[in-house]
This record gives sequence, C-alpha cells and structure tokens, in this order.
Amino acid sequence: MLRRFRLEEPESVAEASELLGRFGDTAKVYAGGTELLLAMKEGLVQYERLINGKKIGLNQVSADNGTLKIGALCTHHELENSVLLQQRLPALVKLEQNVANVRVRQAGTIGGNLCFAEPHADPGTLLMALGATMVADKGASKREILADNFFVDAYETSLAADEVLTEIRVPTPGANRKCAYLKFGYLERPSVGVAIALSLNGVVSDVRIAVGCAGPAPKRVAEAETLLNGKSKDEVSRNLAQAGAIAAKASQAISDLHGAQDYKEHIVGVLLKRAFQAAVS
Amino acid sequence: MAIATRRHADTQTIPVSFTLNGRLQEIDVEPHELLLDMVRDRLGLTGAKRSCDVEVCGACTLLVDGRPVSACTTLAFEVRGRSVMTIEGLADNGKLHPLQESFIEHGGFQCGYCTPGMILASKALLDENPNPSEAELKHFMHGNICRCTGYKKIIESIMAAAKKMRAK
Amino acid sequence: MQFQKQVEILVPREKVWKFIWDVDRFIACVPGCKEAKTLEEGKRYAATMTEKVGPFKVEFPTTIEVLEREELTHIKAQASGADNKIGSRMKIDLDVNLRDQDNNTILSFVAGVDILGKLAALGHGIIKRKADQVLDEFAQAVKQKLEGEA
Repeated sequence: MLRRFRLEEPESVAEASELLGRFGDTAKVYAGGTELLLAMKEGLVQYERLINGKKIGLNQVSADNGTLKIGALCTHHELENSVLLQQRLPALVKLEQNVANVRVRQAGTIGGNLCFAEPHADPGTLLMALGATMVADKGASKREILADNFFVDAYETSLAADEVLTEIRVPTPGANRKCAYLKFGYLERPSVGVAIALSLNGVVSDVRIAVGCAGPAPKRVAEAETLLNGKSKDEVSRNLAQAGAIAAKASQAISDLHGAQDYKEHIVGVLLKRAFQAAVS
Repeated sequence: MAIATRRHADTQTIPVSFTLNGRLQEIDVEPHELLLDMVRDRLGLTGAKRSCDVEVCGACTLLVDGRPVSACTTLAFEVRGRSVMTIEGLADNGKLHPLQESFIEHGGFQCGYCTPGMILASKALLDENPNPSEAELKHFMHGNICRCTGYKKIIESIMAAAKKMRAK
Repeated sequence: MQFQKQVEILVPREKVWKFIWDVDRFIACVPGCKEAKTLEEGKRYAATMTEKVGPFKVEFPTTIEVLEREELTHIKAQASGADNKIGSRMKIDLDVNLRDQDNNTILSFVAGVDILGKLAALGHGIIKRKADQVLDEFAQAVKQKLEGEA
C-alpha cells in the first residue's frame, strides 16, 4: 500500500512548474513511476502530491537541423522503437533496448530516469559522451544544462525545485563520429557503464569518455580523453590500459552489493577497451 | 457495472473506465491505489501475484493495451481508457489459448506461481514477434523469473505455441 | 562501517579538551546536528541528527553516552538513535584521542557506524560515502572553530 496523495494533472510546463514552486518538497513530478513508486512503497519518501507529467505532451522525438530532440516523457519502449533514433543514434537505441526489463521499459521514461539519478542507471553515461544537454523549463523561462553538469551526486541533479526536465537535446553525430556504450551487471541494475564517443579521420579526435553506475553519479573523464586525442588507432589501443586506469579512479567506485570497489574499477578498464573497439569496428 | 465505495468527502477519487478482459469496467479509484491491489482485491482476479513487489520478477505481469506492465508498481488510474488483460481473460469461453495448452503439454510450470506472468508476457512477445529467435525470446522474457523450472521448458512451451499459432 | 580521521589543530590540548565538553559549540560542528541538550553533565547528552541524500531525508533523535574518559587524552562514547518515520536505527561507537604535537594538538578519532533498517536499502555504498563526508566536515569544523578563536 502507498500512503495517500493527491494527483495533479497539469497540461502545461508552466502549470507544473507553478505547482512545484507552490508545494515545494511535499510534491514531486511523476512520470512512469518506476523509481519513484518503489521509493514510496519502501517508505523512504512521502509526498502529499504527485504531479503527473504525462499530460503535458513531452513524448516526441524530433530532429531540428543537426539536433535530435528527445521528449523527457518518452518511455524507454518508445525510444527503442523510434525510427529517427535508429537512423541517427543507434547507440542510444541499443542502450534503451537493454534498460531493466520489458515492463520497466514500457512505463519508465528517460526523463524520470535522469531526474531520479539512481547511480545504477544507463542513459546519463551515454548522454554525457554524446555531449547532450538537458532542457530545464519553468514555463516562462528555460535553460540548457550540459549533461556533464546535470548530475550532482547520487539521487541529486542540478535541476531547481521548480524546474521540469522537458527535453534532452543531442547533437546528431556526423558520419565520422563513432560511439558505443557498454555495461556490465549481474543484478537487476547495472554495476558499471562506460560510454565513448570519438571522431575517426585518420587519427582519433574529439574523444569523450564517461563512466557511470560504479560511483554515485556518471562522470566525464577528461584526463583519459587527453591520452587518446589526436592519436592513431594503434597508439590509442596502446594507451587504453592507462586510460582505463584513469577512468576507473574517476568513476569514484563504491563497494556495494554490485561489487567491490577494486572489482568495479577493473571492469571500467575492461569496458573502456571494449567500448573503443566496438565504436571503431 | 460501476463499483462504488463509501469515501470521506475530501478524498480525491478518479473515475476509471477501462476494458477488462474484453468487457467494459467502471470503477472509482484513489490516486494511490496500485493496479495489482485493484485487480486482486477489488475485482477478485487473483491470477496476478505480488511476489517481489519491486518490478523485477514479473509475477504481477498484466497486459495493458497488449503490453506487459508490473501491476505492483503501476497506479490503478493509469488504465483509464485502456484495455487490460489478466490471465483469467486469456481463455476464450473455456477454450484454452495455445500458450496455455502449450505450457501444459510441455511442462512449462511446476508450482505455477510465475506462470500467469510468464504466459501473459509471452503472449505480448508473440503478438509483437510471431517468430522470435531464442535470443529474442530470452531478451523479451528476461524480466520474468522462475524458481522452479530452470526455464528450458518455458522456452520450449513458448516456441511450440508460437509454431502452432503461426500455422493457424 | 569503520572510519578513521585525524586533524591537526593549531591550539594547545587543554583548549581542545575544553571545547569538546562545551556541548553546544561541539555539536554545532557536526553537520546536520541540532538541538543539543545535556542530560547528565559529562555522561549523557541528546541531539537530533538530520541528513539528506537527494530526496531522502532522515532525522534521528540521538542519545550520546560517554563510556570512558581520561582527562585531556581520551573519550569513548556511543551514540544511538532511531528514525521511526523511515524505519531505521543508527549506532555510532566513537573513540576520540588527543595528543600533543609541539604546541598543537592532534585530534584523532575512530568511528564505527552501523545503520540498520530501511535506510540500508539505499545502499551501503551511498551511506558510507555520506558518513565519510560528514565526519570529514566535522573534523574540519572543529579545527576551524578552535583556530578561529585562537
């Protein structure tokens, strides 16, 4: 049983933002509920009001010149079946196909996933490597937050209390842009996730590396990127072990039921190597 | 048929009109009611089970608009305007669905606790993909857990049913 | 979970010792701790510990018992509390040591922290990190307060 709450069903972002501002932390945005309802069932959080985000119409996927726009209320199922995403961002489609299980994918939304900021989650890590931005909307005004700056800590994002995540924007990767996301886990949630994006034009350039799931929040690893930038494929392969070690430390891996710290760090290195190979093959 | 309950004047109720196993159902729910509780306790359909309660095991699987959901973690009002199928609605006037026949014929269950969820999930799979490879089947059914069978006979049951259903 | 912290405070040992027993000022150094009360001078104290991880908040009314005391050198204490709203209990075993370093003091402590109940569902790892942060902040706050007044 859940504790009683009132359901609000705003039909615009402005309305939702106003409700959030008015009711503060006694209210919460509710999308698919796949994380929120679990926390509520456990009694870890309580809300007097849930603000249903599904009547605002934020579940479209579109392309605007060179930018893919993903509605925050798109379910994982909608994303895995998006023709547009399959054409332009197959790495994200593959990620969405493998989120949790078929029932969670049916109800869960990408926005809910990002905003709940559970450490053991997939999309944030890849979106970081893709240079995505999150649109934080109050109705009257909005701002874009770079994915690198979206995740503050476990269960904490940089969204203000009255901001609604409405859209995720991803610059469409060009023809020479390669990316891959690999994850490892043996429990229901992933233990380690590594994403890499790079341009391949003779040499490897514009490398972006992100690690997630192992620590409290996904992290860009600029230090590892420097080791690979401007190098030939062979040189990169030789540097991958060291890049992996740097990424492992940057992941802030925590020992928990998903694995010991050193085990997770080791897996980060393995996945980075394999992600690079998957991206360039 | 509307199912009414007495409530305090201040309580928020949401009228939910939906199709349940092919028939129109009208019921008032409170926002916090869970779909699994509504189906089991108020509508008396106990085929769906509360097992892990955290959307991991699939024993509470129901089909909403033909797609599998975890009824344990779905708010009841979310089915308004939709069609819901429980295991009780699968047989056609007493005639078992090919999946049900197949599970019996191929020994796809032992204790039976996971079975309603297994059968509904596999129905959703076959509706979407009438000829799945074993890898596709396993991917789709990944979220339905069985403690008894070791899965081999579940896979055989589903594949056999799929073959039969394609032949029709 | 075990934590070990050490901080050098540029103030003589007597001052640090005195500060520890000044309950209000000492408790003020613990992040999220408020409403400190002396129940029995030198022996039992009460306070409310609050912590927040994302949307998850806890509030533990806590009792602190001083178990051992060696003037100017050593304190052994135990703090325990329960958050009935969330259904979690907390117990901290604290071993505090003071020693001289020239004219300054090395304050070191070992904390054994046990969290039981629903909070543990959040993940041992997250709690461990949070506890580590809190203890770090606490050690720094004690140092700042004492050095600030010097």
